[in-house]
Amino acid sequence: MKKTGLKWSNLYLILVFAILYIPIFYLIYYSFNEGGTMNSFTGFTWDHYKEVFSDTRLLVIVLDTLLVALLSSLIATFIGTMGALGIYYTKKRPMRNALLSVNNVLMVSPDVIIGASFLVFFTFLGIGLGFGSVLMSHVAFSIPIVVLMVLPKLKEMNDSMISAAHDLGANNWQVLSRVILPTILPGILAGYFMAFTYSLDDFAVTFFVTGNGFSTLSVEIYSRARQGVSLSINALSALMFVFALTLVIGYYFIMQHNINKKKKQRKLAEIEAVKMR
Amino acid sequence: MPNQSIITFKDVVKEYDDQPILNHVDFEIEKGKFYTLLGPSGCGKTTILRLIAGFTDATSGEIYLDGKKVNDIPANKRKVNTVFQDYALFPHMNVFDNVAFGLSIKKMAQQKIVEKVKEVLKMVQLSGYENREISEMSGGQRQRVAIARALANEPEVLLLDEPLSALDLKLRTEMQYELRALQRRLGITFIFVTHDQEEALAMSDEIFVINKGHIVQSGTPVDIYDEPINRFVADFIGESNIVKGNMMDDYRVKFVGKEFECVDAGMRENEAVEIVLRPEDLEITAVEKGKLKVKVDTQLFRGVHYEIVCSDTDQNEWVIHSTKKAKIGAEVGLYFNPEDIHVMRFNETEEEFDARLEAYEEE
Ligand SMILES: Nc1ncnc2c1ncn2[C@@H]1O[C@H](COP(=O)(O)OP(=O)(O)OP(=O)(O)O)[C@@H](O)[C@H]1O
Ligand SMILES: [Mg+2]
Repeated sequence: MKKTGLKWSNLYLILVFAILYIPIFYLIYYSFNEGGTMNSFTGFTWDHYKEVFSDTRLLVIVLDTLLVALLSSLIATFIGTMGALGIYYTKKRPMRNALLSVNNVLMVSPDVIIGASFLVFFTFLGIGLGFGSVLMSHVAFSIPIVVLMVLPKLKEMNDSMISAAHDLGANNWQVLSRVILPTILPGILAGYFMAFTYSLDDFAVTFFVTGNGFSTLSVEIYSRARQGVSLSINALSALMFVFALTLVIGYYFIMQHNINKKKKQRKLAEIEAVKMR
Repeated sequence: MPNQSIITFKDVVKEYDDQPILNHVDFEIEKGKFYTLLGPSGCGKTTILRLIAGFTDATSGEIYLDGKKVNDIPANKRKVNTVFQDYALFPHMNVFDNVAFGLSIKKMAQQKIVEKVKEVLKMVQLSGYENREISEMSGGQRQRVAIARALANEPEVLLLDEPLSALDLKLRTEMQYELRALQRRLGITFIFVTHDQEEALAMSDEIFVINKGHIVQSGTPVDIYDEPINRFVADFIGESNIVKGNMMDDYRVKFVGKEFECVDAGMRENEAVEIVLRPEDLEITAVEKGKLKVKVDTQLFRGVHYEIVCSDTDQNEWVIHSTKKAKIGAEVGLYFNPEDIHVMRFNETEEEFDARLEAYEEE
């Protein structure tokens, strides 16, 4: 009985992952297709990859996209973390709830509306559309994400720990940098990565606020797809997928390495302590 | 030396949301002694510690540390350290970094920090645990890390908020000895919070009994145990038999319909009072030898002694601690000495109580 149950659950998992990954692998598969379409596989070729690497416009867009994602998530993480601290330390409950609601409204409002309102806002202020406007809007929609990731960590934090730090002589800045930030670091990192991925694959907001001469990958792919998809887009997607995969695997190994190192250090110390006796 | 006291509270009031939590608290704490704040849950013990440490401000009144008014001095500038009720260790740091925290804030040289941490960890018997994570320490070990972390700063006063409440009985007794020995060795002032009266009696030089934000009585463990000022203290510190009585004259008291010789004086004639007789001071004898006649109702074996509950003809209950067994249902006599009778007046303040004691002892 138990065995079949296990099998069913395994089967279910495999099914879910298949549904999630098949489209991606399908795309990657055809990126090696000699024929120009995704209808039938006629032969193997690297041509589409060569095309990607010789398309300087596309490469610039990739770099710009990464730059916007890196910068915007960095700025948003900073502002969002401060914001979460601000909300957490707002003493009056109604005020705190109001702040939190304002944050959540931004979270759930549709991208199209946010994008459109940014467009109105930027044109009203006379700010030129391009790198700056895209960056600013990405920062703006990333902040609530960071706040939502950091706030639970702050709530989990033991308040007497902060009293303890003051008690041991730390001033406000030292309490923040040595106790609060390290404690909520997992939340901050999670917020940063969430903001990074949101920025990378945002289409709707960027579509509104980008201008002549500046584009991000999603917008570019959209405009190219309208003219009929070329397989170089497949190649690009494959590259992005591999890039993301390396990041995840790299992250995993760094974590593993840290855990092992800590264990080793402790063993050494314990051996020493035993020797001393 | 008039300014021996290291901490002074002058008429301190603390309110939360207009609710008074501490009502006009006055006390002085002398250097190098072991003090205990004892009282039921919610009576304001932690609040007093928080006021001393500077985590919260007094609504009114003055707080002095070392003769200096500290009402406006923040916690990080006070030479006082705290061991928290829940230890409040930093989970993202290992034992060494926890203990070294205060020292590294002070920008002490790394070599010195290493030495100091080693020294205090040895003091709390945790040598060699420097690289352990906090999550890998047991409750008792965590508590000792918390003490080491506070001691590393060489405070003049160490505040301990029920640090032993999470430990099992054996470890707890062990830690009581260790803490007391540590305090003697270092010669610093300890202010220890507990709601366990046995712990308070065993460890302290001086006990403050607190109830509802008032200090009801302060004194040495023996004073407080032998001469509780009122029913609350008598009940809270150890078990006691409390009955109503009348003071006939100096050194003569009447209760359960009989007159007895006692050692208390200085009260009005025929004043209504309460009488305390500790269970261990009552002795079971033959009916004709006893001062009181009672009937044995129940008996419990408590390990060290039997707890025997008797009742007299007025339906007063008498609890007796005896190493000898009694026979349930038997009529027995109770014997006690005049100095075992402790007389308490109603609504007497601590000052009045002390003044009266002094007055009649001088005679
Ligand atoms: N921050 C606060 N806001 C409002 N009321 C508080 C606050 N802190 C404490 N109190 C109240 O003050 C009273 C005394 O609290 P305190 O923590 O001093 O009790 P305690 O004697 O330490 O009790 P325990 O033995 O349970 O730890 C309690 O009634 C509590 O509800
Ligand atoms: Mg408390």
